[in-house]
Amino acid sequence: MTYLAVCARQSDEHQVLTFAATAGDILRFATIDRIGRSAQGVLSGFQRPQVAAHIREIRDYLEKPNAVLPNPIVVAFIQGVTVEAREEGSARLQIDVSSGAPGLVVDGQQRLSALTELDRDFQVFVSALICRDEAELRRQFVLINNTKPLPKSLIYELLPSVDDLPPRLSRRSAAAEITARLNYENTALKGYIKQHTMPEGSIADTVVQKVVMESLSNGVMRELVRMPKGEDRCVKIVSNFFDAVKRVFPLDWHGHKPATSRLLHGAGIQALGDVMEVLAQRADARSIDDFEEGLACLKGRTAWTSGEWHFGDEVRRWNGLQNINRDVALLKHYLVGVVKADLRRRAKAAPAPLLDGLPDA
Amino acid sequence: MKFIFADSLDYVDPAFDFIADRSPAERQPYWDDAYPHEILGYAPYDGVLVSRGIIGDHRVKGKYTSSQARRFHLVGARKFLRLDKPQFKDLDIFGDCGAFTYVQEERPPYSATEMAEFYDECGFTHGASVDHIIFDFDPAATGMAGGSDDAKARFDITLENADAFRREALAMDASFKPLGVVQGWSPASMAEAARRLVAMGYDYLALGGMVPLKSPEIKLCLEAIRDVIPSSTRLHILGFAKADDIDGFHGFDIASFDTTSPLIRAFKDAKQNYYLPGDGLALRYFTSIRIPQAIENPKLQRTVKKGIFRAEDLVAMESAALSALRAYDAGGADIDDVLQAILIYSAALVEEKSYAECRDSILLARLAVRYRETLMEKPWKQCGCPICATVGVEVIIFRGSNRNKRRGIHNLAIYHEHIERLDLKRAVHRPYDLSRSLCATKR
Ligand SMILES: [Zn+2]
Repeated sequence: MTYLAVCARQSDEHQVLTFAATAGDILRFATIDRIGRSAQGVLSGFQRPQVAAHIREIRDYLEKPNAVLPNPIVVAFIQGVTVEAREEGSARLQIDVSSGAPGLVVDGQQRLSALTELDRDFQVFVSALICRDEAELRRQFVLINNTKPLPKSLIYELLPSVDDLPPRLSRRSAAAEITARLNYENTALKGYIKQHTMPEGSIADTVVQKVVMESLSNGVMRELVRMPKGEDRCVKIVSNFFDAVKRVFPLDWHGHKPATSRLLHGAGIQALGDVMEVLAQRADARSIDDFEEGLACLKGRTAWTSGEWHFGDEVRRWNGLQNINRDVALLKHYLVGVVKADLRRRAKAAPAPLLDGLPDA
Repeated sequence: MKFIFADSLDYVDPAFDFIADRSPAERQPYWDDAYPHEILGYAPYDGVLVSRGIIGDHRVKGKYTSSQARRFHLVGARKFLRLDKPQFKDLDIFGDCGAFTYVQEERPPYSATEMAEFYDECGFTHGASVDHIIFDFDPAATGMAGGSDDAKARFDITLENADAFRREALAMDASFKPLGVVQGWSPASMAEAARRLVAMGYDYLALGGMVPLKSPEIKLCLEAIRDVIPSSTRLHILGFAKADDIDGFHGFDIASFDTTSPLIRAFKDAKQNYYLPGDGLALRYFTSIRIPQAIENPKLQRTVKKGIFRAEDLVAMESAALSALRAYDAGGADIDDVLQAILIYSAALVEEKSYAECRDSILLARLAVRYRETLMEKPWKQCGCPICATVGVEVIIFRGSNRNKRRGIHNLAIYHEHIERLDLKRAVHRPYDLSRSLCATKR
């Protein structure tokens, strides 16, 4: 197989070239070799197994007519290729496939797997790297695959401005959008959320996003967001809830940071997210007053900034709660239990609405 | 006799694409999925049981995600299970603690009050008291003899809880029917527990700890219990793993039992994966054809990691087996060719060797016999349930949750009919008689 390639001056020890090819052709001259050991324990290959879900996501994207894939598939060779230099940095690359595929896919195997399932004539760039031996090739693989991913919070912040995302990311994107609005619009949480672009905030953006995402997928916002001006309603309900939180626990909120008050800490925010759901779904709370009424029962039964939490037979110092699943669940269970008991008590105490339905009532 | 299905989020994706082998990218689990009563269009059970342990919380790790658990607590069982439609209003919703999830603990993590509030708030129709499983069953022990200290402690805990639970339910004017749970280490100790529960005021008892017992042992317990309780007292068997033997339990006047076995057997049993009505009042079983996803199956992935197979080759064998089976179903392939294609892939799965290296393996030979029977009979063509009618041969393939659970749901439908046929007190109702008799004449 012959390709006209462009060479790059990079190293005296390796040759680096690039050219365009279809996935089918790439698989004729290269294999996706995975890491394994022979019966004698000799290490061979180097790739991790394919990740089915990841491949699907890429394929969904590539099926769109406007899809592009500018980053190349990296194929390494230690034999089976001849490079014939031509003028102006180009070269003729000949790959001998008579005794199998000599190349090894070093980077882009998921993309390549997705491409082979694609019913479309689609060329990608191939970066060919010619190494002197297998050890060198493995070293390149480690180096190429060891780049540091972008920080998550930066990606999440960028998401709302990107269209046409896979569903996994678009759900995350909706939550990121609501979180950003809570931080920049006139809400109870304005300026409180620590984002890539708001480093002075104190509540972790990922924590607020988690609360919002939970609510969007299984809670009250699932219904709200589908109504007219749905996103505004979502921003409003969170803002109203936290305004009520500030009214009920003023001394634990104002002037505090997560380190000095569990109210602004990951554990507290997440647990309060559950309290918001209970009040919104069981008591139909929407306004600041509604939430304040529902939260009042927690007064005197919390230890946000000092003292101890009494969770049944487990006692924790106020700062003994960490942002780990178990502690968050413990706090949720406790707060929700108090609030639900209060809802039950108030429901029983309320006299039956005798005048219900009468014109004067 | 009511058949209560013990649910643990057993739903399938109605939009699943069997050829592309995937759900739509935008699928949201639970919301877009269908429970058995939704995919079939009718309920293949008389009620559903939800264990507190399956929902889970900060003490017990459940099967629900924490946000699903939260939603269950907020909207209640009926709405969560999407049984809040008029056609399902008569279905019972049973609750229990899921005692198996805390067997290791000294005491159950839930109080009687907490459980009563939970059943009441979440709209259960029946709620079982807080029990603690007793091990070391001794069928021969008489009276209160036998039983370790631990067994006796658990016996007392279960009864104390039952007493508190019933009082609590009465005090809160609960909307569910309380069931007192029987736990014991022998038929006689269970009878004693049952007697005491009746003395407390219970008229509906649930037998716990039945999962590891064999049918004759369960019968011994039922006999001993029936001897000491009024005939008007109703009995429920919790976690009845021997559900297929139910016809042998006729004399004990069982009001209800819960099981998940017809569904689970679809993908947990080595041989009996697909149910059809058999001769007389029996069930007939078929082995499903195992064609797992090459790049998702952990065992096959291990062979790739170890360098025994290349992933590309496994994918090729997998797709050859799938297409051969589909071609056979469509009448375009010979049974020996299909079997061959399936066994080539099975060799990698069961023996971790190439077919050439292990074609004489005993395991493969056994598999071949069972597969041949399944292929010969084409049982999926003999069933008219909405699942088999829609997905055809896919239902017999042992592969991924959408096929496996569909097969399980088909089993539920067949099993429910089976119970109804056995249950002479109830009207005989066999929706698929026509399609079955048509197939019978063809045979
Ligand atoms: Zn069927």
